[in-house]
Amino acid sequence: MDKTDRNYTNGKITVYWQPKKCIHATTCYRELIEVFNPRKRPWVDMDGASTEEIVRVVKLCPTQALTFKYNSELEPEKAPELPEVLAEARVMEDGPLVLKGDFTIFDVDGKELRHLKITSLCRCGRSDNPPYCDGTHRKVGYTGK
Amino acid sequence: MAETEDSNKNTPEVRIMHNGPLILKGNFSFRDSSGKIITGEQEILLCRCGESKNKPFCDCSHKTLPVTD
Repeated sequence: MDKTDRNYTNGKITVYWQPKKCIHATTCYRELIEVFNPRKRPWVDMDGASTEEIVRVVKLCPTQALTFKYNSELEPEKAPELPEVLAEARVMEDGPLVLKGDFTIFDVDGKELRHLKITSLCRCGRSDNPPYCDGTHRKVGYTGK
Repeated sequence: MAETEDSNKNTPEVRIMHNGPLILKGNFSFRDSSGKIITGEQEILLCRCGESKNKPFCDCSHKTLPVTD
């Protein structure tokens, strides 16, 4: 638990927000600005949409910066993990390549990079912290098209 | 006699090429930005310079650029 972590509830579910995991894929607010509005404080408004809709969008978060739990211990039929694939490489639209799971990553000099559950690699060529994504793609208007 | 032989237990590899693409090789699931998923043994070269005309794939555009890392 990081001290920047937050959680938000509507009584039925609690949404957990871990900013350090966020790569600003912008999925949440493109999908559901009524709930996830980075211009507002607090930026998550749990009354902005139905529980089902919030759950749907939280599940789209590519880095699990957003997660949720049901408040009742009704253990939901839906597991928190996606169908288990050991390793997934995912191209984010106009953003980085997100590597999830069991990859071995070698740097330009052949050295193995530390890879925890998720690593985001720059695709726009402009990161100040290559080979990692640092969000610069947004500033430079990179398009993946 | 069982030396730890499973040090390279078929984990997919990502190689970051100097001033070049990312090479992904092995058994993994690849998902493009439209949501299309390809799973299985594969080798893919992905653009890392931002200039490819065939994104997300590498088309060797980096050779025309002073990419640095």
